[in-house]
Amino acid sequence: MPDFNASCLRIFFIAQNTAREAARQKLFSFVLILAFALVLGARWFRDFNFGAPELKFLADCGFGAMAFFGSALTIVATAQLFFSEIESRTALTLLAKPVYRGEFILGKFLGVLAVIGVFCGVLTLLLVAVLWRREGELMAEFPEAFRSGRSVDLGTVVIAGGLQWLKLAVLAAFTLLVASFAQTQLFAIITGFLVLVICHLQYLAQDAYARSGTWLGRMGGAALAAVFPNFQLFALADSLAPADGPAWGDVMRVVLYAGGYVVVGCALAVFSFRQREI
Amino acid sequence: MSRITEAAPAGSAPAVEIRGLVKEFAVGLRGLKLRAVDQLSLTIAPGQIYGLLGPNGSGKSTTIKLLLGLLPPTAGECRIFGVPSQQVTARRHVGYLPESPDFYRHLSGRELVRYYARLCGLRAPALEARIETVIASVGLSAAADRRVGTYSKGMLQRIGLAQALVHDPRLLILDEPTAGVDPVGTAAITELLLGLKAQGKTVLITSHLLAQIEDICDRVAILDRGRLLLEGSVAELVGQRERQSLLVDALLPAELAELRAWLAAKGRSLHAVETPRERLDRIFLDRLGEQKSPRV
Repeated sequence: MPDFNASCLRIFFIAQNTAREAARQKLFSFVLILAFALVLGARWFRDFNFGAPELKFLADCGFGAMAFFGSALTIVATAQLFFSEIESRTALTLLAKPVYRGEFILGKFLGVLAVIGVFCGVLTLLLVAVLWRREGELMAEFPEAFRSGRSVDLGTVVIAGGLQWLKLAVLAAFTLLVASFAQTQLFAIITGFLVLVICHLQYLAQDAYARSGTWLGRMGGAALAAVFPNFQLFALADSLAPADGPAWGDVMRVVLYAGGYVVVGCALAVFSFRQREI
Repeated sequence: MSRITEAAPAGSAPAVEIRGLVKEFAVGLRGLKLRAVDQLSLTIAPGQIYGLLGPNGSGKSTTIKLLLGLLPPTAGECRIFGVPSQQVTARRHVGYLPESPDFYRHLSGRELVRYYARLCGLRAPALEARIETVIASVGLSAAADRRVGTYSKGMLQRIGLAQALVHDPRLLILDEPTAGVDPVGTAAITELLLGLKAQGKTVLITSHLLAQIEDICDRVAILDRGRLLLEGSVAELVGQRERQSLLVDALLPAELAELRAWLAAKGRSLHAVETPRERLDRIFLDRLGEQKSPRV
C-alpha cells in the first residue's frame, strides 16, 4: 500500500503539471476569450430574448456560454491532456518512477478539474459583475420596477456556476474513463460528446420507457438512469429571484449525486488504465 | 519456466534478475500471438554496465518495459534489487531514459527535472541543489530555463538523463541514450556513465552503436527475435586469447621478411600486418578542441 501523504503529494504534482500544461495551451485561452465575449456581448443580443426579462436573458446567455464552451473545453482538454502523455511517451517516463497508475489518473482528473474550475469561476464572477451593473442601470432607469430592491440573487448565480462546474466534473470523469481504454484521442472526444448528449437527453428516454408500461421498458429506463447521469438536475438554480432560490437540501443532493458519478467514473478509469499496455 | 520464489534482501540481491521471461502481444482481430520476448533469463550484478544489444524488433525495449513493470509479462518474472518489478516500490531506485524521449514541451528544463524529482520524493532544502547538480552534470545549465519544446534532439536526451539521475538511483536503465546525439554529446554521455560506474551504480544500456557498447560495458547480451543469442563479458566475447597484436615502429620489407622467418622458426605465423588507424570519433573530438562540456 502506498504511503497516503506521499501518494496525495504525487497526485497533486501530476494535477499541477496537467493544469499548467492546459493553461499554457492556446485552446484554454481561446475558449475562455470566446466565452468572455459571449457573456459581455449578451447585452447587445437582448433583442433575441424570446420574451424573457432582460436580466434573466443575460444570465441564461452566461450559463449557456459556460455550458457550451465548458463542455467543449472539458471533453477536448481531458482527452488531449491524457493522450499527450501516451503519444509523446511521457507516461512511460512518469510511470517508470514510483508512481501508481491510479495516482496518474487521479492527477489528470484533478488537473482538468482545476482548469474547468478556473473557467467556471472566472465566467461566474464576470456574470455576477455584468448582472449587478446592468441591474443598477435598470434601477436608475426604472425605479418604480425595483421598489422592493434588487431582483437578482447573486448568490444563486454563484450556486448555479458551482453546479455547472460539478456537471463538467462528471463529464471529465466519464471522458477520462473512455480515454483510459480508447486507442485514439478522436475516439475519446467523439464518445465524450456522445455521453454529453445522452446525459442531457436521458430524462426524455426515461419518460418514454416509463410510458411504455412494460417491465422491460422500466428496466431499460432504470439502467439508463443508473449508467448515465441526468444533467438536467444541475439546472437547479435557473430562477434568479431571491424568493425562488434553490433549497440547500436540493443543492446538497445534486452535489452528492455528482460526487457519486465522479467517484465511480474515476474508479473505473483507474481499473481500466491498470489493464492498459502503454 | 523457472521462477524466483524468494525475495532476496535488497543489499545482496542482483541489480536485475530476469527468469524465463515471455511476452506475447495479440495482433489483429484474430488475436494472433506475436512473441516479442521468448524465455529470456539474465542476471546483472550491482556496479556493472550491462549492454543489451540486438537489431530492431529484437525485444530490447519490450524487455526494458517488462523490467520496469510497464507491461505485464505473459510468463516469467523480473526483479530489481530483489523486488518483483510489478511492484511500484521496485522503481524507487531506478532511473529510466526511454528511446527517443519527448518531454513536456511547456516546461523549462529546470521545471521538468523539478517535477520528476518531486515525484520521486525529493523535497526542499535538498531539492534545488540536486536539480542544479544533475543539470550541470549533463551540461545543460545554460539552457535550463528554456522551454523543453525548443530543445534539440541531443538536448532532449541529456535532459532525459538528468530526470533519470535526479533521485540518485542505484540502477539506471537507458534505452538508446546516444540516438541522435552528436559525437561530442556521445562522448560526454559515455564519460558520465563511466563516472556513475565509478560511484557503484548499475547501468543497463541498449544501443545500436556497438563500438560504444564495447568501450564501456562490462557484460553484454545479444537478443534476436526475443531470444537470447549470446551473453558474457565483453572481454570474453571479443578477445582472441590464442592471438596477440604487437604495435611496433614501421618495418622495412626486408625486416618484415626477417620477422616472418624468425616466427616460422619458432613455429608461429604472422597473420596480418596492418597500419594502426585512429578512430574517427577521436579525431573529431580532438579537432573540436576537446571541449570540456558538451555543446547546448
